[in-house]
Amino acid sequence: MPTAEPILVVENIVKRFETQDGVLVAVDDVSFTVAPGEFLSVIGPSGCGKSTLFNIIGGLMDGYEGRAAVGGETIRGPHASIGMIFQEESTFPWRTVIDNVAFPLEIAGLAKAERLDRARHFVELVGLSGFERRYPSELSGGMRQRVSMARTLASEPKILLMDEPFAALDEQTRLLLGDKVLQIQQELKQTTLLITHNLTEAVQLSDRILVMTYRPGKLKRMVEIKLPRPRSSEIVGSDDFGRYVAQIWNDLREEASRGLKDDEARMVRRGS
Amino acid sequence: MAQAGHLTGSRATRGPWPGPVTRLRIAIIVTIIVVWELVAASGLLLRDVVPSIGVVGRSLFELLTQPDLKWPVDFSLGGFHFAHEFVVPGFYWHLYVTIAEVTVAMVIGGIAGLAVGLLLGANPFMSQAFERYLYYLGPTPKIVFFPVMIMWFGVGPESKIAMGTLSCFFPIALNVAAGMREIDSVLIRVGRSFRLSAWQMVGKIYLPAMREPIINGIRIGMGVALIGTLLAETKLSNKGVGFLIIDAYNTFDMPRMYAVLAMLFVIAIGANALLGRASRR
Amino acid sequence: MRSHRPPFWVRTVPVAFGALCLVAVLALVEVLVATGTINPFIVPRPSDVLLSFTRIIAEERVLPRFMLTCGEALVASVMLSVVGIAAGVLLHRHRIVRLATETWVAALASAPLVLMYPLFLVIFGRSVWTIIMIAFVSALPPVILKTLEGLTGTRAALINVGRSFRLTPSQLYWKILFPAALPTIFVGVRLGMIYALINIVGVEFLINFGGLGQLVNELAERYDLPGTYAAICFVILVSVLFFIGTERIERWLRPGT
Repeated sequence: MPTAEPILVVENIVKRFETQDGVLVAVDDVSFTVAPGEFLSVIGPSGCGKSTLFNIIGGLMDGYEGRAAVGGETIRGPHASIGMIFQEESTFPWRTVIDNVAFPLEIAGLAKAERLDRARHFVELVGLSGFERRYPSELSGGMRQRVSMARTLASEPKILLMDEPFAALDEQTRLLLGDKVLQIQQELKQTTLLITHNLTEAVQLSDRILVMTYRPGKLKRMVEIKLPRPRSSEIVGSDDFGRYVAQIWNDLREEASRGLKDDEARMVRRGS
Repeated sequence: MAQAGHLTGSRATRGPWPGPVTRLRIAIIVTIIVVWELVAASGLLLRDVVPSIGVVGRSLFELLTQPDLKWPVDFSLGGFHFAHEFVVPGFYWHLYVTIAEVTVAMVIGGIAGLAVGLLLGANPFMSQAFERYLYYLGPTPKIVFFPVMIMWFGVGPESKIAMGTLSCFFPIALNVAAGMREIDSVLIRVGRSFRLSAWQMVGKIYLPAMREPIINGIRIGMGVALIGTLLAETKLSNKGVGFLIIDAYNTFDMPRMYAVLAMLFVIAIGANALLGRASRR
Repeated sequence: MRSHRPPFWVRTVPVAFGALCLVAVLALVEVLVATGTINPFIVPRPSDVLLSFTRIIAEERVLPRFMLTCGEALVASVMLSVVGIAAGVLLHRHRIVRLATETWVAALASAPLVLMYPLFLVIFGRSVWTIIMIAFVSALPPVILKTLEGLTGTRAALINVGRSFRLTPSQLYWKILFPAALPTIFVGVRLGMIYALINIVGVEFLINFGGLGQLVNELAERYDLPGTYAAICFVILVSVLFFIGTERIERWLRPGT
């Protein structure tokens, strides 16, 4: 792995929540680094705190212990070098595709001709050429997520932070979009941090995978994915792929069943 | 605002009383009262158009407590005979008249609206044939039909009831029709699988499933029935709250008009709030 | 995307059936009145009503009346939109004001405000201002409430996008919150405009002043039976056209819907 200075440093993050069931520790002393150009996935069952981590690194959440820094600067709110792609539908329904993608350039104050020109490049990158003048309501879910992706990429962030961007899509679309992501990442050498619960996706796309435990979310294991690059979705059928999936699957299953038991116990407590 | 993060609503605030929300409310009310009194005293408008709050208050008190209406009661039951002439504050009697008119209007309009709504909601053909007429005729000024209602029903309370019925029929029918279509189709299939008769379907499946749209329709219907009835009363009547308002206008008794309007709004808002609570339960 | 539409004839048969039923009912009424089964002094023959249309248009200056009613509606609508949206934005921006007054506005929305028209008669006299002001006041609460609803209902995901791009509060407002709220805001404005028109015509009728509403009242007082019915038809027609027109605008404002 490259020994260059890590671009993202996460140190001893602890996040607690007050709920009706008492104090919940969502993230418990998580530390890791991300190297430039690396594709890192954080995987874990529901309730492992990965979305919390996403919001913390993205600067949308505070009130935690520990520190996150990008390029040496501590994160204290949304950082200019971090681009976020959300799980939910987030395209602006009142703007066309091209206007959606040009949004960060508009905010940055670029002149109209230039920002439309640049935006077109990113629209092409995600494979939506020809759809510039369409409205999001005319597109499929997968296409809308691509628009969100292009919009974030247009701001040319040093780090791309994604929270289960394909959760709402069906399996085939996911695989194909995964291909797109791979392609883009390889072309832009984009440092990417992906939060997901989908194992296939994580192994398909990543250089490294961090497995988290169920609440309180700790780092259970770090797995290096030594599959060759450049990759495509065909890799899903290979033996090595299967081995990695099996290896991580055991960890996930353990954590997922812990989560299930905990949920049931909580329901019982609430009912009594 | 620095405190904004801690505000969760006047009820939830457990801080010092009165909380900031209550303080603001009091401040707003006080400002309104002060401005009102200033306008009343300055004679900016014709002197009596904005009477001082005290004067309005006194009129309100008289309205609610001063007996000025003779109400003869005379009935026999078996060997028992009772006759007395009560003298009551007229307001309550006029209120009773209006409430009675609105109630009858809502019963008639409600049943008709329910029936038509059920038919349109259950039958797509009928819906496509006729629902558009209800939809487009709904948001029209029904009061212009009043002359027709007078011709058909006379100048008594019947024409006011007719206005109320006409007003509330539309929202109830439309809401019921829409509510029918929104019933989860699986519930209807369950009913059919038990081979329920049409009446049973209505009573055991449709109506319970539509509780919310029906109550909502009734709420809107009540609002428009009230308005329709009251406006008709202001045009041509010698009883009812609407009559009281226009009578105050004709006699230029402004404090009385304000008093009646205030009572009307309080009652209307209260009734609406009660229905709102019923729908949320 | 595009929904599968049933074939042409399936769509038109019920519509035609409905229209035919209407015509049939009118024809039935015509016969019943002509034969005297229905008292012709209470219900005029539909054909007489139809014939009186041209007479009314010619003699009663329907067009100027229509313009007057429209003018009143326009002024009231503009006032409604400006004040209503501004108030909604104000309430949204200042949370404490909203917490203090939102329930009051909701309560006013359910009160029969139009019953204040005699009060406005005293203040403004028998003039267009009475009509405009009563329409404005009675239709204001829903506009405010819908504006508020639109602004508060903006999806968290969209706001988070704005935050992730580090928008200033002002940019957040104008580039995300407001555009996202616009469809709902227009629903409120449309509701307000419709109530306003209803109350305008209604009050014109009641105070016997103004445009189309007054026409109905005048003809009724003259016992011109077919004329009254014809005038009522005019009112309904204008109302329906206005409703459809604003519906079109609402659909146009939501691109892609």
